[in-house]
Amino acid sequence: MEFLKYTLRKLAGGVPLILGVTLVSFVLMVYFGPDKTYELLSKNPTAEEIAQVRVQLGYDQPFWVRYGTYLKELATLDFGYSDSTGERVGAILQRTIPVSLLLLAPGFVLGNLLGVVLGLVAAWHRGGWIDKAIMGFAVVGMSISFLVVIIAFQVLFGVVLGWFPVRGWNVHDLGSYLHYVSVPTLASVFVALGYNTRFFRAVLVEEMQRDHVRTARAFGAGAVEILWKNVLMNAMIPIVTRVMFSIPLVVVSGSLLIESYFGIPGVGKVTFDAITSGDQPILKAVVGLTAVMFVLILIVNDILYRAFDPRVALK
Amino acid sequence: MSEALLEVDRLSVDFVTEAGIVRAVDDVSFSIRPGRTLGIVGESGCGKSVTSLALMGLLPRPAGSIASGAVRLGGVELTSLNERALRRMRGAELSMIFQEPMTALNPVYTIGAQMSAVLRRHQGLSRRAARARAIEMLERVGIPVPARRIDEYPHELSGGMRQRAMIAMALSCRPKLLIADEPTTALDVTTQAQVLAQIAELQQELGTAVILVTHDLGVVAETCDDALVMYCGQVVEQAPTSVLFETPRHRYTEGLIAAIPKVRPQRLARLPVIPGTVPDLAELPPGCRFAPRCGFADETCIRRQPALETRCESRFACFHPAGRQAPQA
Amino acid sequence: MSLPTADLNPGADARLQPASSPASHSLWGRAASRFAADRAAMIGLAIVMAFFVVALGVWLDWWGGNWAEITGGQWQPPSAEHWFGTTILGQDIFARAIFSTRTAFEIGLVVAIASTLLGAVFGALSGYFAQTPVDAVILWLKGVLDSIPFYLFVAAIAFALDGNPWAMHIAMIATFWTTTARLVRGEVMKLKNLEFVEAARAMGLHSLVIIFRHIVPNTFHILMVQATIVFVAAIKSEVILSFLGLGVSDSVSWGLMIAESTTEVIAGHYMNFIVASSFLFTLVMGFNLFSDGLQDALDPKRSGR
Repeated sequence: MEFLKYTLRKLAGGVPLILGVTLVSFVLMVYFGPDKTYELLSKNPTAEEIAQVRVQLGYDQPFWVRYGTYLKELATLDFGYSDSTGERVGAILQRTIPVSLLLLAPGFVLGNLLGVVLGLVAAWHRGGWIDKAIMGFAVVGMSISFLVVIIAFQVLFGVVLGWFPVRGWNVHDLGSYLHYVSVPTLASVFVALGYNTRFFRAVLVEEMQRDHVRTARAFGAGAVEILWKNVLMNAMIPIVTRVMFSIPLVVVSGSLLIESYFGIPGVGKVTFDAITSGDQPILKAVVGLTAVMFVLILIVNDILYRAFDPRVALK
Repeated sequence: MSEALLEVDRLSVDFVTEAGIVRAVDDVSFSIRPGRTLGIVGESGCGKSVTSLALMGLLPRPAGSIASGAVRLGGVELTSLNERALRRMRGAELSMIFQEPMTALNPVYTIGAQMSAVLRRHQGLSRRAARARAIEMLERVGIPVPARRIDEYPHELSGGMRQRAMIAMALSCRPKLLIADEPTTALDVTTQAQVLAQIAELQQELGTAVILVTHDLGVVAETCDDALVMYCGQVVEQAPTSVLFETPRHRYTEGLIAAIPKVRPQRLARLPVIPGTVPDLAELPPGCRFAPRCGFADETCIRRQPALETRCESRFACFHPAGRQAPQA
Repeated sequence: MSLPTADLNPGADARLQPASSPASHSLWGRAASRFAADRAAMIGLAIVMAFFVVALGVWLDWWGGNWAEITGGQWQPPSAEHWFGTTILGQDIFARAIFSTRTAFEIGLVVAIASTLLGAVFGALSGYFAQTPVDAVILWLKGVLDSIPFYLFVAAIAFALDGNPWAMHIAMIATFWTTTARLVRGEVMKLKNLEFVEAARAMGLHSLVIIFRHIVPNTFHILMVQATIVFVAAIKSEVILSFLGLGVSDSVSWGLMIAESTTEVIAGHYMNFIVASSFLFTLVMGFNLFSDGLQDALDPKRSGR
């Protein structure tokens, strides 16, 4: 019961955020956005026809009414029809979101897992050559642009070596899934690993300097036990926070790039096309949903805090 | 006289710092018999904590290392043991408790979990047996309702209780030696008295030898059989406590004792303090390290370091010691 | 028994006086000497300086001015005349790469300076007035800007500003100030409880004066490091934005060069791609090393080094 109340309270707290995001995006994209009136008209429109279309598009309504309509669309998840393809936006999202998730999940999980492992190794051997080597690779990884990696991998694995496909998404079973997801996964891990390792190493090093680590050593605990119980468990909060907050970044930005470049039909590609063609219904849907996702992430993060740190009370 | 339990023989500890290699502990020797309490007292930075860490093999690496000397516990040479052998001894043969009970315990595990881990590690107890012993130890240190407290997290206990839990944990495997590094500095005076009493009581029961590291002479007077005074990494005086307070020999000890606020027959205009400050370990004076601050220093003191000599029951290193007997030439 | 009050003997050996330390005792002095001793940091600084000189030269019209001219045939390999060959249109790749250095610095500097300033102001206000409506509003603003996907935001701003070339800069500044603000806020919240602030308040100084003349200067080390981090982020973002068609339009940048090369590389023409990527990588790497060195010099306890 208390848990439910807590969640509801957090959700309520997220409302101003959602309002803020949707307002900002609405203002920018729709209000200042392209005027669609003339696209729906024939060659020589009359004044009445223009007026008619404007009513149809809702341009004659005052600002707040139009914004309110947008919020209603968001609440009911009914965004109308795509400007470019005429398909229902809801259907488009249903089709493409799973693809994006399947595409990005392995890279995301691997990137963070490897990052924690490498960070642990580097932190444990702080100052030694292993540490310096790992940090060296991390800086190099951080310095290469994602785009460069994507292009290079496409050429390397697709053209030169021919091991993996570089365009499309012809997935019907596990084998073909692994086949198509390999290069994108490699690319995202390559790029994320540098940043992740550095961050995790810093967090872990800080935890290693805590008093209770010394106490554990004083009572005879071995390296593995100390790393797990004293260092990692205590570092979980900043680690989890970081992982959670990297989701919007990785999922949205990563999917945009990878999908448009590799021609994979996911949310990112659809969004990219929407940006270039000015397809407002899709853009409105994506932005709104991203805001909601962000708030959900905040809530989940808070809950995980409680799970990992008994000092944090449900307030 | 029973055989010494712990023998520290010319121990020296070096640290690598931005200013070069610094000797934090310089040629320190002492011993302690079973069941006795030794107080190591001195100002911050005198090397007392470093000494205790060195005994446990817990010097922060790679900065700190034992440069030379020997440490023998029950005949076993600790400095020659590898990490795995040392680990077997820590918590079982010799235990250490630290200053800050707030941060010394792992915040994300219960007291019981942490205590049981130690018991299971060193005594091979089953989970249930370890828990039972832990509850028993908590009761021994005077924690009320131990069966409930054992499942609480460190932040749910007060500072005094946390420290008692640490003592319980430290003594749960019946070590021969307990090193307590400023165990009561972070506690208020009442709790301080309780915790010290607790240590003394358990020590009687279990026959543990205790090394109490502190900067508080009052604590030494109350609880310790013998006292060791350190300054700038060196031993400057060692004596049974009563002898130390009655007839301090080294001028530093004399100054420390004189500076204790107490009721005196005549009122003083000012509390006598030792002038000057402790020298930087990277820039030590060539002769006696206390000479710059000592009112009795002369040419000899500035040029040469005094060696430790024994007189009556005191060991001290001073060219012009205090005391009723005239100093030897 | 009382203690004599004389401390040193008048004729004491001069060696008893503490030797004067060779290193300076100020924060910046010590940081500078730590930085100078850090080899990786110095290499980073050298690289950044080298690129800066190149950019300066472009500004002063010493070189790179012919980036748009068609001076050779299509896709010519590297030669004495065209050090890195030519593009699909016959433009000199080397000149384009050189000119792009100026573009990169322009974007980097504008975004870094503006976002650091904004971050400092908002962060300081937010931190000093923590737990008040002012703080709540700024935090809400930060949350909103953080949750809008970056590329969508740029696109939206581009729409709204109708193709203004500064759209990209504005979008970057509007998103990058949040991290700086968060760090400054944390630091200010710690600083405002210190005694010098209490003293300033007791002297009757106005809050804004206290914040901006006394507290913010104590956050300079954070601001410097963040500025370098934002510089790198700006350059890297421009690459992706140019690929998406939302970036630089009327001149050339490494991002544009890479975007152009995406179709060429399949056909085996790598020069455009390799040159632009290498220039970009070198500058970013240099800046990252410089940034790391800066952080370590200003706070040696970081990362336990």
